[in-house]
Amino acid sequence: MAKRSNTTSIPYAAKKKTFWQLLWKQKALCIMALAPLIMLIIFKYVPMYGILIAFKNYKASKGVWGSNWLEPVLKNFIKFFKNVNSGQIIWNTLKIGVLNLLFTFPAAIIFAILLNELRGKVFKSAVQTISYIPHFLSVVVICSMLNGFGSTTGLFNDVRDFLGMARVDMNNGSQYFLPLYLGSQVWQTVGWSSIMYLSALSNVDVTLYDVANIDGANRWQKIKNIIWPTIKPTTTILLIMNLGNVLNSDYTKILLMQNDTNRSQLEVIGTFVYQKGIVEGKFSYATAVNLFISVIGFALVFGANMITRKINPENSLW
Amino acid sequence: MSFGKAKKQNNKIHIGSRAFDVFLIAFMIIVSIIFLYPFLNVIATSLSSNRMITTGQVTFFPKEFHLDGYKALFKDENILGAYWNTIVIAVGTMIVSLVLNSLMAYVMMAPEFVLRKPLSIILLITMFFSGGTVPTYLLIQNLGLYDSWWSLILPNAVSAYNIFIYRSFYQGISPEIREAARIDGASEFQILTKIYVPLSKALYATFGLFSVVGVWNSYYEALLYIKDPAKQPIQMLLRKIVFTSGTANMSDAQQMISNGNLNSLNVQYACVIATIGPILLVYPFIQKYFAQGVQVGAVKG
Repeated sequence: MAKRSNTTSIPYAAKKKTFWQLLWKQKALCIMALAPLIMLIIFKYVPMYGILIAFKNYKASKGVWGSNWLEPVLKNFIKFFKNVNSGQIIWNTLKIGVLNLLFTFPAAIIFAILLNELRGKVFKSAVQTISYIPHFLSVVVICSMLNGFGSTTGLFNDVRDFLGMARVDMNNGSQYFLPLYLGSQVWQTVGWSSIMYLSALSNVDVTLYDVANIDGANRWQKIKNIIWPTIKPTTTILLIMNLGNVLNSDYTKILLMQNDTNRSQLEVIGTFVYQKGIVEGKFSYATAVNLFISVIGFALVFGANMITRKINPENSLW
Repeated sequence: MSFGKAKKQNNKIHIGSRAFDVFLIAFMIIVSIIFLYPFLNVIATSLSSNRMITTGQVTFFPKEFHLDGYKALFKDENILGAYWNTIVIAVGTMIVSLVLNSLMAYVMMAPEFVLRKPLSIILLITMFFSGGTVPTYLLIQNLGLYDSWWSLILPNAVSAYNIFIYRSFYQGISPEIREAARIDGASEFQILTKIYVPLSKALYATFGLFSVVGVWNSYYEALLYIKDPAKQPIQMLLRKIVFTSGTANMSDAQQMISNGNLNSLNVQYACVIATIGPILLVYPFIQKYFAQGVQVGAVKG
């Protein structure tokens, strides 16, 4: 009898503890969370609050809050759309982003499937190891190499020469930009991006292969009916995540590939924000342009996820 | 009759499959060459004579070997200073981010913690929204971090993505160990440093390396926040030599190029090799950790 009253008293005691009492009891955990939390607030949340200057006439002396609101509030956005180049800039951003996705995304899947079909284990891991190397090169190194290879005495022109074509300076003008950009993107990302698919494929049910062999399925049928269904969920999730980045084309790379002969044709949102905001010091205007593209990017992820959830809820991101 | 037919068909599949294997091996060899050839060409060109470069004869190996590109680079540029700056920034970032992410991940792992939910919302928001280039730049200026290495170390030290991966790694450690330590009177901080950190060596190896490579390869933050040439990391030096001032302020190299004894590619590629050298040297030893790290993120994150 006494025992029973003892056990019932425990939930009663737990119930009595208020939120603040619990918090006091867990003060050690609170103190541990303090430093990272402060860093997050300063370096992530304060800049988010700083986006307000997109709607203000930012003056350093007055700060974000003290600066006057613009009249009208959306003045910077209107100014961007009235800019003769804004259409070209948005088009460039969209074009480079979509083409980048179209080339790099399927390339990684195909590469993973082909690697998976490779029989020799040692050879397979050697190819994998080699294919990861470009991932560890910085964008400055990649662009330096492209710059050298595209010069009249560089590798690409040696190849052109070998094929009987004239040597051209590929860094001059913008007509060689897309092949150089997209080619180097595929070269750099294909190996590393294939890891995700390969790790999904390592979980494939081996008995499925045995059944397929008994049924006399050929390689293509196995790829279609066993391998593709296995990597499909991974593919969908990565595609949604990549869609959100379509408009965040790698502007740090484009910034390096720009020169006086091609700058006007290669401007994207990211480089435009850098040019206006950092170089020319038009802080409010650059922030507004950046905000505009972030909102569209977020809408893209959200929309893609909503469509996926309707078609197949299991594959959606949230 | 039917048995023979089936056997024949089986054979056909077999031959088709074999042909595919052969094709696949040939294809992968070509792909591997495409991955490697640019490096070999860069190394070979950096070591070849101007005459061989301009006539397009350099392929896999240096022709008319010389080291003048490297000599000019190491003589005129403060490349050792740039290495040192990069190492300081990389090690600083690694320490700060490992410490702060561990603290946060441990707290988020504790199932009884009352602020777990709000903290994870605070973290999640930072994964989807950011202030963007200009507000961050203004913040760095207002904090007085402009032109200081702290501007490269602090802003990205705490990463929500990494914290969630750390947390799922910690969750793999049996909670009974934590309970036992608490009964023995260990404080939360002691449990983290004496039990969880030593048990997560693989995690720290992977993410330490990730952050070092990330810092080694980044240039954009330095372009934004560092003005003093003496504080620039190695990537900014490469950017300067290839894209902005070239060999203009390298008196020896300039002289040799105008005499036709040196090609500007000699110096540019020498600097490329100097930049990627350390990464390529350690690559064979660390690549297995990297692949593991990505998979940890994929499976658990």
